[in-house]
Amino acid sequence: MGNLRRLVLDVLKPLDPSIVDLVQLLAEVEGVDGTNISIYEIDRRVENAKITIEGHDLRYDEIVRIIEENGGSVHSIDEVAAGRMLIEDVATPQD
Amino acid sequence: MKRYKPFGCIVDGLDSLREYERIAGFLQIARRALANNAFDGVLTMVGVIMGQWVGGVERPGTVILTGIATSISIGVSGLWGAYLAESAERGRELADLEKISLTDLGETKIGRASRVAVVVVSLVDGLSPFLSSLIVLTPFFLASLIDNLLVSYVLSMGLALLSLFVLGMYLGHISGRSLVGYGLRTAFAGVVAIVITRLLPTE
Repeated sequence: MGNLRRLVLDVLKPLDPSIVDLVQLLAEVEGVDGTNISIYEIDRRVENAKITIEGHDLRYDEIVRIIEENGGSVHSIDEVAAGRMLIEDVATPQD
Repeated sequence: MKRYKPFGCIVDGLDSLREYERIAGFLQIARRALANNAFDGVLTMVGVIMGQWVGGVERPGTVILTGIATSISIGVSGLWGAYLAESAERGRELADLEKISLTDLGETKIGRASRVAVVVVSLVDGLSPFLSSLIVLTPFFLASLIDNLLVSYVLSMGLALLSLFVLGMYLGHISGRSLVGYGLRTAFAGVVAIVITRLLPTE
């Protein structure tokens, strides 16, 4: 199976553990080169986070396990990229 | 090569405890319980010992037996009460969070942090009055060495006031205010308890 290189996830998570802890835990997963978490909505107890992970061979199951272990739930997979090179989304006339 | 760490599991355990503390925030509650219940423990034992002094109890064995029974009761009371209250409160908080996030959090770090918080707070709530009340009883354990029960009674009250003073200093340290000022305030509570119980009619 082709190696997964980029994952963009929409995650709902409690405020604690904080994204500072979560981003470091995700960065330590084997195959991950870098990760970014940005918050686009915040509530009293939970927050919606966009988690972007890039690497040379991402382990999807392990990444989801860490997110769930820290109380998060993956609402949607918003973007994925796999293969020998990273392909960006291409603009089409419909866009 | 993996290096052998002699206290690896202890260090890992402490790291996990720190992480759970960050998530569940139980340190502040435990600190409050420590001060509050240790204060209760010392003053309860002041009451028990003063009652026996005023009532003319002359056998150290009787004082020790009553004292230990009281320490156990106050310890069990603290442990049980805190466990029930804390688990009910934490359970409700977790259920609220599960409802908002539509996720079962029981087996996550958040669920574990919540359970650890209940255990830590209950233990502090139970052990602090148990141990603090036993400190006040110490002169009676040494009664055979002291060989004068009146001295044991006086020493015990002195120890109670000293414990209260140290507890006050601890509170002063937490609040960042005068250690001696806080110490005197808590010790004064002991003086009030001693004076009032000394004035009780004996017949």
